[in-house]
Order: sequence, then C-alpha cells, then structure tokens
Amino acid sequence: MASAPDIQRLYDEHARALFPFLLNLLRNEADTHDVMQELFVKLARRPALLTGARDERGFLLRLAHNAAIDLMRRGGVREKYHDRLAREQTDLFAKSADPDEQLFREKLAEALGELPADQRAVLHLKLWEKLTFEAIAETLDIPLNTAASRYRYGIDKLRDRLRPLYDEIK
Amino acid sequence: MSADFENQLQRQPLREIPRQWRAEILSAASGPGPSPFVLRLSSWLWPHPRAWAGLAAAWVVILLLHLTAPDEPRLARSSYSQTPQSIAIMRQQELIMAQLLSSMENDFSSPALPAAPKPRGERDLKQLVG
Repeated sequence: MASAPDIQRLYDEHARALFPFLLNLLRNEADTHDVMQELFVKLARRPALLTGARDERGFLLRLAHNAAIDLMRRGGVREKYHDRLAREQTDLFAKSADPDEQLFREKLAEALGELPADQRAVLHLKLWEKLTFEAIAETLDIPLNTAASRYRYGIDKLRDRLRPLYDEIK
Repeated sequence: MSADFENQLQRQPLREIPRQWRAEILSAASGPGPSPFVLRLSSWLWPHPRAWAGLAAAWVVILLLHLTAPDEPRLARSSYSQTPQSIAIMRQQELIMAQLLSSMENDFSSPALPAAPKPRGERDLKQLVG
C-alpha cells in the first residue's frame, strides 16, 4: 500500500485539476466528490497503478475520466438525470466581482453543459489543462484526429452560443 | 476571432476544490481496506465480475436443485422390494425361468440332427478329386 504522504502529495498536486475536470464532465458536485474519493481510495489500495506512469497528471486524468464515464453509463435513468443536470447551471468557474465577467462565466458553464460529454472532456483538457491534442488523445484513449475534431466542433458551438455576449464584453 | 475567443475562455478561472474535501477524501483513502485475500480475489475476478457472479449463481442453483430433488431410483427399489405382490411376481418369474432352463437342457440332450448338407462348391471339388 502507498504510504499516507504519497496519497497526500498526489492529492495536493493533482486534486485542483481533477476537481474541475470531473465537475465539468459530471455536472454534479456530489458525484464529483464520490468519483474523486473512489479514485484516491483506489490509488491508496493499489499503489502499483501509478508504477510506470510517465505523466502522473495525465494518468490521473485518465483514471478520473474512466471513472466518470462508468458513473454516467450506469443505467439509462441516471443518464437522463445527468443530461438534465448538465443543462442546469453548474458553478464551474470562480465567482467574479465584475457583473459582465460573472455573466459570461455563467453562460459559458451553461453552454459547456449543452455539449456532449466527449466534446466537453476534450475542450476542458485543451483549454484549462493546456494539453496538446496528442496528450488529450492519450488521456482519453481516442485517435488524435478524433480529439482535434471534437475540439473544433465544441469550440464552434461555444462560439456560436456565446458570440453576442463575447462581442459585448470584448 | 478564433484565437481571441479561445484565449478569453482560457482566462476564465476554474472553481477551487472545496477545502473540506481534502480531509474527507484522505481519511477515506487511509481507512482500512479489504484483506489481501479479498484484494487478490477481486483482482482475479476483475476482468469479468458479472460473468463470474453469474457462473457462481448458476452453480448454487444447480447444487440446490441437486439437494432438493428426490432420489428416485432408491425409492423405486425400496418400494418394489417391500410389497408382497412384487415378491410373488419374482417367484413366478423364477419358476418360468427354471422351466425354460430345463426345457433347454432337454433340447440339448436329444439326439443330434443329421449333418447339414455341405456347400455345393465343396461337394463338386470332392467329386472332381475322387
């Protein structure tokens, strides 16, 4: 079993990235907590999982993505519930004192919720984790072209959806 | 516009993870886990846990059916041997068998039948040689 400081180190170094990624995918804070807890419990009990991982962050994002997809796939009713949740507002971004910025963040979170989960995952990793398409393809276990096309489709939809607001605050 | 728009999105700061989660998640991770045997078993069963569970359930059903099913051959034998009718039938069959055996013995002790004619080919050969 990995020693406690190892798990603490993993948490301190990567939880800040895992949390918004999972929240963006699952659109539900309780589910995000459950998946994160499940992930760290798994790492504590099976430390060999990380052995040989070249990129620790990438590997953890991959585990988190797989766990989130598993959760979303458990039962049709649950998926419908998540579809509904995805369209509802999620506090994905930090609050802003500027009303225009705050409105933009809220609309951005809403627009992200309207995208399919696979496009959302690629957009998140590209925009906020600043991963290359190669790294995204490896993390999500998809072909490079798929990662690039999902990003293009997703960003086009966001642009169409947010254009009026973006033009206003630019 | 595309790059500007993407930069604008990237500039939006993501929400911080709630502080109290750290203690909750780390305490769950440091809690006592399952025994090494259970861990080994789960890693062995992991590839197809549902298939293994289904197979185990099928075996349990088979075992239950086997234990609850009546033992028909033994019942049939015991009931058959205990009725007086069956004893009478058995004696009758023994008598018939004895009669048959004695009649067969008589048949064997009677004079032998004349020898069957030999095949024609063999007769012709003897005639030719003779």
